[in-house]
Amino acid sequence: MLKNPHEYVGHDVIKVDAESKTTGEAVYPNDIYFDDMLYARVKRATHPHAYLKKLDISKAEAVPDVVTVITAEDYPDLNNFGLILKDQPVLVGIDEKMRFMGDALAIVVAETREAARKGVSLIETEVEELEVISNPIRAMEEDSPIIHKEKNMYDSNIPKRNIARSNNLIKGDIDKGFAEADLIVENEYTTQHLEQLPLQNESGVGYYDSIDDQIKLWVASQWIHDSQADIAQSLGVDKDKVRIIQPAIGGAFGKKEDISVHIHLALATLETGKPVKMAYSREESMIAQSKRHPLIIKMKTGVKNNGKLTALEVEVIGDTGAYASSGPAVIHKGLFHSTGPYEIENIKGKSYTVYTNNTYGGAMRGFGATQMGFAYDSQMDIIAHKLGMDPLEFRYKNAFEKGSETATGQILNRSVNVKETLAEAKEMMEDKEGQK
Amino acid sequence: MEYEIEFTVNGEKRTEFVTPSTRLLDLLRDDLGLTGAKEGCGQGECGACSVIMDGKLVVSCLILALQADGSEIITIEGVKKGNDLHQIQKSFIESGAVQCGFCTPGMIMATKDLLDKNPDPSSEEIKRGLSGNICRCTGYAKIIDAVKMSAKKLQSEGSENNA
Repeated sequence: MLKNPHEYVGHDVIKVDAESKTTGEAVYPNDIYFDDMLYARVKRATHPHAYLKKLDISKAEAVPDVVTVITAEDYPDLNNFGLILKDQPVLVGIDEKMRFMGDALAIVVAETREAARKGVSLIETEVEELEVISNPIRAMEEDSPIIHKEKNMYDSNIPKRNIARSNNLIKGDIDKGFAEADLIVENEYTTQHLEQLPLQNESGVGYYDSIDDQIKLWVASQWIHDSQADIAQSLGVDKDKVRIIQPAIGGAFGKKEDISVHIHLALATLETGKPVKMAYSREESMIAQSKRHPLIIKMKTGVKNNGKLTALEVEVIGDTGAYASSGPAVIHKGLFHSTGPYEIENIKGKSYTVYTNNTYGGAMRGFGATQMGFAYDSQMDIIAHKLGMDPLEFRYKNAFEKGSETATGQILNRSVNVKETLAEAKEMMEDKEGQK
Repeated sequence: MEYEIEFTVNGEKRTEFVTPSTRLLDLLRDDLGLTGAKEGCGQGECGACSVIMDGKLVVSCLILALQADGSEIITIEGVKKGNDLHQIQKSFIESGAVQCGFCTPGMIMATKDLLDKNPDPSSEEIKRGLSGNICRCTGYAKIIDAVKMSAKKLQSEGSENNA
């Protein structure tokens, strides 16, 4: 039965799990133990862009307490996984490519954490090195090596290289907009990789339940059903053969949208028939899991002497790293937010989601819109300065209000409080000035 | 090679066998089932594994289990008084200082250590007292509120007991 919302709205509500989190009783993935549990650890790539020519696991297999070492050779039929494009391998096989330092080459399963760690340290590789592409501008050049060979991953309408996806944004008539402008201001903005850094690293326990013929995974996930579907298609089993049991999540901020320990745990428990635990170290989490996308944002803005914006031409180049993850959606969204809360009649925009050999970009708070704020509000300050206008007044003049049309053609018809917010912020600033 | 160590945890005497490389954090979590102390970084940066050892706040990921021989340790599981929550725990709940909760046990241990030594800390002293603990959800404001609320409640509790 539903409770009366008036008991909650406008009142302080105690979180249902707050008490268990203050006593240490809340169970996070790494807090789960089974009696005969094994520990798994992943051998990561030894080069950011190279063909794996040889993988020697014999020394790892000889470590006392190592139960098994799993490589792509053991599971040749695994499918790639990924949130939008299925472009990420579960394990890199011989003559296949490692595309960033987080790619998995082998899984060592052992009786103890120490043995698993030692096993990983004794795996040897031989690789054929390729040019490492750490910059999306280089990635798009004609003579750049192609990071993913699979053709269907690229936008075939674009003559440039290594583009996972491109998107357009068109509103009004850009030529007319610039013709109307008294001043045109062009700038380029760049943002950097950011680590979401949830305090709980990727971790979990996997157990193949032979009675139910089901792989059970205790892993903290932000997309529990998408993860289930992706794990199942990667393993080539029906979805109902994979069950994710969600423990408490120790923070995520977008970083736990992607697959991490899930499929490796599934393989380790299928291979051994025992429950297996895997926990990334902080270092491994930083190397192997997603980041906020660094963007290169080129903006050309037209404005009248009276402060009215007339045109915006924008190009967004997003470094999605070795794998697409949420990249096509994040960078697409960034493009769509390129005006910020300001109304501009004529817009022409283009975005590119570009593969490189950097750690892959994924979801993080704001999902592409955050990076754009640095560009559009810097642009607003620079233009105000050039016009000799007060930056607040300039913003107020162009801010969304009821009836405004956004860059994507949405008419804002309710709860548009940008101007009220600006006015209130001004008042607070003046109060503070007065106090000095 | 395993070594025998004796220590007290949350008032209970324990004897355990540990290897030279076992960390106090592993001993607590793997062998004693006290999983309230969390591993966030394994390098003493985040404070999620904080416990009180011989009256001193320590990060259990940087203490070897062998170093705990003969010591007295309090973990988050030992903060409750019987079935009742400690005032610090109540204050964290009431102040909305708990979000994902992963830093909370460490934050509460750091708060306990601070208030045991300084029952009426200033905002600056609270920030200093919790400076070894990282929270990625709250932005710290609610946590500082919780420490202030704890100090107040503990002081009035103390004066009631003395009356």
